[in-house]
Amino acid sequence: MKMTAFGACMSIVLFCMASSTWAANDGAKETAVEAANGVLGTRDGEQIYSQICQGCHMPGGRGAIGAGYYPAFAKNPRLASANYMAATILNGRRNMPSFVHRQHDEFFFPATWLNDTQIANVINYIRSHFGNHFSDAISAAEVAALHAKEPSK
Amino acid sequence: MRDEATTSGMTRRGLLRMIGMTAGSAAMYQAMTSLGLAAETTFNGMPDLGTAPKGASVLILGAGIAGMVAALELRKAGYAVQVLEYNARAGGRNWTLRGGDSYTEMGGETQTCGFDPGLYINPGPWRLPYHHRGILGYCKQLGVALEPFIQINYNAFMHSHRAFGGKPQRYRTVRADYHGHVGELLAKATSTGKLDVEVSKEDQQKLLASLQWWGALDKNYKYTKGMDSGDRRGYDRDPGGGLKARPEFSTPTGLSDLLDSGLWQALPLNELYDMQQTLMQPVGGMGKIGEAFARELGSLIRYQAKVVDIHQDDSGVRVSYEDTAKPGSRHEARADWCVCTIPLSILGEIPINVGQPMTDAIAAVPYAASVKLGLQFKRRFWEEDEQIFGGISYTDLPISTISYPSSGFHGSGKGVLLGGYVWGTDAMRFTAMTPAQRVAAAVAQGSQIHPQYPTEFENGVSVAWHRAPFTLGCFGLWTDATREQHYDNLCKFDGRIVLAGEHASYLPAWQEGAVTSALDAIDRLHQRAVEKGATA
Repeated sequence: MKMTAFGACMSIVLFCMASSTWAANDGAKETAVEAANGVLGTRDGEQIYSQICQGCHMPGGRGAIGAGYYPAFAKNPRLASANYMAATILNGRRNMPSFVHRQHDEFFFPATWLNDTQIANVINYIRSHFGNHFSDAISAAEVAALHAKEPSK
Repeated sequence: MRDEATTSGMTRRGLLRMIGMTAGSAAMYQAMTSLGLAAETTFNGMPDLGTAPKGASVLILGAGIAGMVAALELRKAGYAVQVLEYNARAGGRNWTLRGGDSYTEMGGETQTCGFDPGLYINPGPWRLPYHHRGILGYCKQLGVALEPFIQINYNAFMHSHRAFGGKPQRYRTVRADYHGHVGELLAKATSTGKLDVEVSKEDQQKLLASLQWWGALDKNYKYTKGMDSGDRRGYDRDPGGGLKARPEFSTPTGLSDLLDSGLWQALPLNELYDMQQTLMQPVGGMGKIGEAFARELGSLIRYQAKVVDIHQDDSGVRVSYEDTAKPGSRHEARADWCVCTIPLSILGEIPINVGQPMTDAIAAVPYAASVKLGLQFKRRFWEEDEQIFGGISYTDLPISTISYPSSGFHGSGKGVLLGGYVWGTDAMRFTAMTPAQRVAAAVAQGSQIHPQYPTEFENGVSVAWHRAPFTLGCFGLWTDATREQHYDNLCKFDGRIVLAGEHASYLPAWQEGAVTSALDAIDRLHQRAVEKGATA
């Protein structure tokens, strides 16, 4: 169902006017560039991190604490499993949304999604920065293999 | 319109007029009810729970709208009520940032709002639809003064950076031209027999008449430059008095350009049930509602209390919390029952011994990314230069929305705009910026709609909801699938704990969702307490 916002109430309102999507909605055709680079227009792991992930996980992967928290990535042993990270990005986890590509927008703004190459690249970036030194990289094909196993929510 | 539909040869309205004239207003009201025009309200004003069992107590987590509605009503019924609130203020997302206020987001960046006295921005909810009778009822009860919120302004802009050379169009002209072209096409289809199967000859005449009026078509059912279209889309030179009185008509935009622009996408926004006039806002900022609740509840609210553990057993609910003024400190609050309004984005990270169905429901709802920006300018140039008094301009740029103040028209001082209301991927990008970068981006983008921005801008603030320490997100993003699977489990009582808030409603992000979910939750709480009270 189409949601109302804070009235936008937040409000919503707002309906829809989310951004660069007017034109995209016109034809609803995905261009080759979009298919390759997703809504972000980049496949670069660092770029993806700094445009999306760091909103919550913060610059430097340091995480943050308020009434709740965002996990830090810096020197985080949980990052040992690249598959775990990929599954989390694909399926979402609690407050973190799923970044899997959906056929239909479920909300009044278009979904943010990452393709398998982008997911692999950002995982590899995180696992080799912020004081992490995991040497095994995950590939787009390995991310792709996780799609079927994990039901998306 | 339905009420103009004919009832045995006479319009409903005509029938009612006749009844009113001949039989008086009571008879007319009865007739209106039977015709479905004046239904009794289903909102029974403020709830009346009845009387609490002797000694019964309730612990409420969160002093947002849901928590404070619950606190007010439960106290009235005689429950011993305590409220724990993470922030040093009440209201939650009901919040107004005014000059001098400071706000520290997650990650540690602090902004101090530099607005002049009387100017403000509502980072969260900012409008109250007339049919949100719950929240409006509390405004009335708590003496929160309301004023009109201007949702629709025909002179505000619609802007696409890809259309019309990036030149903003007036809502008035886009709407008039869209209706005009659609009306002309439909009139043509009608008069050339294309609708003969669907529409009777008699109805075709009525349809043509309605299209001519609706679409501002000329006597030949064409949408053309002239008096008819000018009366909707405005003029190149407005009619006036004296020697220069004669209007100069304006030229409608061609259908293809209009369709190509995509601007039509924003036209129905004001037709949505939640966006239809009349909308209202509290005088002085939405935060006035939370402030009024807080005054009413006084010392019932314990501020700066960060909940770290929620535990229930046969005897009651025990909540551990930290006094954030003394990091590491531990306190406990106990009660017979718990109304938990903590956003799911946070609740999912707090140990709580509820059953698997509620646990799964709490974990099933990610929160929307959204960013709002307030920008102060040296003067109200949108009024002085562009004759925009209140309302909203829409753009396909990431800021998406520019909203003009609904009050204080012709003020000679400074003015504050909602300079951006960002959603989706753009909101994630804005969230990832520093507050200063967000404001700079909003000023740069807004300059494409209002070239006065660079010279008139003074200062700005932003709230990126995923960095709000007390919500970690804007509102709960349910899908049809997650609602099907988890919504009822989220709302059902689990032992002594019930959840409330916009996330436990079908009005996501609206304060009315918080109010109605709280009222529903405490109604069920009271029933349980009364049943238990007899045996406890």
